[in-house]
Amino acid sequence: MDGGGSRPGGGPMRGERPLCSPPDWLRAWAGGRGDKMAAGSGAGTGPGTGGEKMAAGGGSGPGTGPGGACRHHEQLAACGSRAKYREGRRPRAVKVYTINLESRYLLIQGVPALGVMKELVEQFALYGAIEEYHALDEYPAEQFTEVYLIKFQKVQCARVAKKKMDERSFFGSLLHVCYAPEFETVQETREKLQDRRKYIAKATNQRDCFVLMKMEGPKKTDPAHCRQWSTLGSCATSDWDPSCFPGSHGVSQNMGRPSGSQNQSLLTLPQYDSHCAETSAYCGQSTSLTRNVSPGGHGPPVPLIRQRTAVADSGVGRFMPRTTHLQERKRRREESNKFALIETNTDNTEVIIGPQLPEIPKVDMDDDSLNTSATLIRNKLKEVAESVSRTPVEKPDNSSAKPLVKQRRRI
Amino acid sequence: MELGRLEYLQALVTEFQVTDSSEAKEQVLANLANFAYDPKNYEYLRQLQVLDLFLDMLTEDNETLVEFAIGGLCNLCLDKTNKDYILEANGVEPIINCLSSSNEETVMSAVTTLMYLTTPQSRQQTTALPVVECMLRFSLSASRRLSNLATVFLEDYCTPLQVEEAQNLSKHTAVGIPLPKD
Repeated sequence: MDGGGSRPGGGPMRGERPLCSPPDWLRAWAGGRGDKMAAGSGAGTGPGTGGEKMAAGGGSGPGTGPGGACRHHEQLAACGSRAKYREGRRPRAVKVYTINLESRYLLIQGVPALGVMKELVEQFALYGAIEEYHALDEYPAEQFTEVYLIKFQKVQCARVAKKKMDERSFFGSLLHVCYAPEFETVQETREKLQDRRKYIAKATNQRDCFVLMKMEGPKKTDPAHCRQWSTLGSCATSDWDPSCFPGSHGVSQNMGRPSGSQNQSLLTLPQYDSHCAETSAYCGQSTSLTRNVSPGGHGPPVPLIRQRTAVADSGVGRFMPRTTHLQERKRRREESNKFALIETNTDNTEVIIGPQLPEIPKVDMDDDSLNTSATLIRNKLKEVAESVSRTPVEKPDNSSAKPLVKQRRRI
Repeated sequence: MELGRLEYLQALVTEFQVTDSSEAKEQVLANLANFAYDPKNYEYLRQLQVLDLFLDMLTEDNETLVEFAIGGLCNLCLDKTNKDYILEANGVEPIINCLSSSNEETVMSAVTTLMYLTTPQSRQQTTALPVVECMLRFSLSASRRLSNLATVFLEDYCTPLQVEEAQNLSKHTAVGIPLPKD
């Protein structure tokens, strides 16, 4: 607004788009407004400009040429005049986020020039797979600090990383993290817009979706599994309150993101397309934690939770991650082996001993004499096992287990 | 909690309508526009006629209000119901007018909103000749964000014929800035 005043009039429609050759926006930017921005890059933010920008959103932007490309990197001053009920947990500037402002690219300013790129990247990689990263040497930076560009594989990961890392202290300096959509190629911009389209389509048809997903539960693709799992995991481990969002679709957990409610937990990735590496890693983890929980497709977290408490020890006929399946199978096999041999009940009431007995003769050695001796050995084993395990009713402890192991080797 | 959500949004709308402070107005509008990002809120926003509120704000003099309002529309216009509503309410015209704003965010949101509002029925309106012409200019902008967006618009939402037509047109009009030579 006010910034616009300085512009050489002209029909606004045309007046502003300068046609200086696009390529060197960066350099031009650095030259044109470098000093000002440098101030903005620090955590402090030049009070004068920042404050003004806050309201105006830097109305001046595009006119001043390439500078416009980066104006949104200037940290806006937090708003101090909000009504009580509108105050978030963290002080924030007045700003509206749209898909245009988001990006897979994050610009990280205020990194101390200590050769800590590795640490920085490691830190950001916690939030998802990073596709590219490098230092922006020409980028105006405060003295003794560096600016880095990190490109995530998914916007979602960038989103989480930004949320977690912005204003974080890093080697004694406060990081300023912002989206850097101006580094996108046309194709990347296109994909970003398309992703949003898909997401909304999915989210707004959620009821149908939900039913469908439920039906085809186990057919879901891997990333989706991950998402489910991570959502679930975060339910369990974070302060995220699922009851607030019945019917939520794994969407952003805050009613309106920038307005406040910040989720502080490290592992909340319930947003739509989180198939980050980290997520899958976490997948495995939560798998082992809550082995028997089986999210049926694409449901809201609440039913999931309920399921979790309801489901006891049977994962039959419902979706389970592959790893869980394998673990489960292994466990079963081990158990059945044990019982086949011991033929006694441990504290696990679910294993029915009766039906397992007949299974033993199934082992066919393809030879009568072998079968005969196998039967002999088996009977002998049974005798031994019985005599030992009858005495300690509840626990077939080591004393019984040891000889059995030996026996099995012989077979 | 769902009730709480509606009530909260209602409180925002009320404050917006009641307050005399332009600062508070801006803040609340920004809040509403950010809530419009999340599909979970769409039903409530419709109920509270926030779409009309956004549309009304597009013609305000206060550029910040315009920026936030078009941002809000950009956030919610992908939803089918919302899209239909905006198209029904003749929202395209004020949105096109936003293309001439001097505020880059406003322009960006307007371009994206036009893309998202484009349907076989609305196409004629959203990709009218002046719009395409505008996009041609934007595609040459030094702002990479804007030029990318305009390029996507031209490539994905306009026919080559439309683009050509706009190119011819802008050759003959002397308005605004000179076009670079090809």
